[in-house]
Amino acid sequence: MRTVEMLHRSGVGVAPSRTIREVAGVMEQAGIGSVAVVDGDRLIGIVTDRDLVRRVLACGLRADARIDSVMTTPVITVGADEALEAAFGLFATHGLRRLAVMRGDSFVGMLTIDDLLVSVVQQLGSLARPITAEILFAQRDPAVPAVV
Amino acid sequence: MRASVGDRIVIHGHRTGEPNRDCEVLEIRGPDGGPPFLVRWGDNGHEALFFPGSDAFVEHYEHTK
Repeated sequence: MRTVEMLHRSGVGVAPSRTIREVAGVMEQAGIGSVAVVDGDRLIGIVTDRDLVRRVLACGLRADARIDSVMTTPVITVGADEALEAAFGLFATHGLRRLAVMRGDSFVGMLTIDDLLVSVVQQLGSLARPITAEILFAQRDPAVPAVV
Repeated sequence: MRASVGDRIVIHGHRTGEPNRDCEVLEIRGPDGGPPFLVRWGDNGHEALFFPGSDAFVEHYEHTK
């Protein structure tokens, strides 16, 4: 499976000059936990709801500061057409919860570790179903008649 | 996905009970009417670039000149 096939949520991007307050409003309106910060077509950072807590609220930063002052950069990315295992590997090695999915130099969307966990659980469920059925409704061969 | 200026993009809620969200397309930034789209969210006028995923669909409106 390709990484892009696991992208279930739309991505949202904001310009680096936007204020933290504006971006928080976008996140609330869009119902998302992270945004891409894009300069023209170029992805330059990401901001998560956790960043807003740690780098804004906890530090007493003003809400009218620019969003690029609290973004995470450089961004760890994965190619849209790369195998999903590549995303698993990046999540594992970098300790991330979100990965920016790119097609060439263009941002496509944000892959979350939650998306992968849901998928893994669903796949395990699919694997377990026939085994469960076999256990619960075992089909036994009829007894072989004894040869006299 | 293709859209035109003035179209509405609807994003399905991801959890049970979560309402759909929508935004208005203000500009097409991609080639051939494709994404990303500059959109305006809800009533508060927040604008952002939108990169549609499988949770989103476009409601096209008839555009009169």
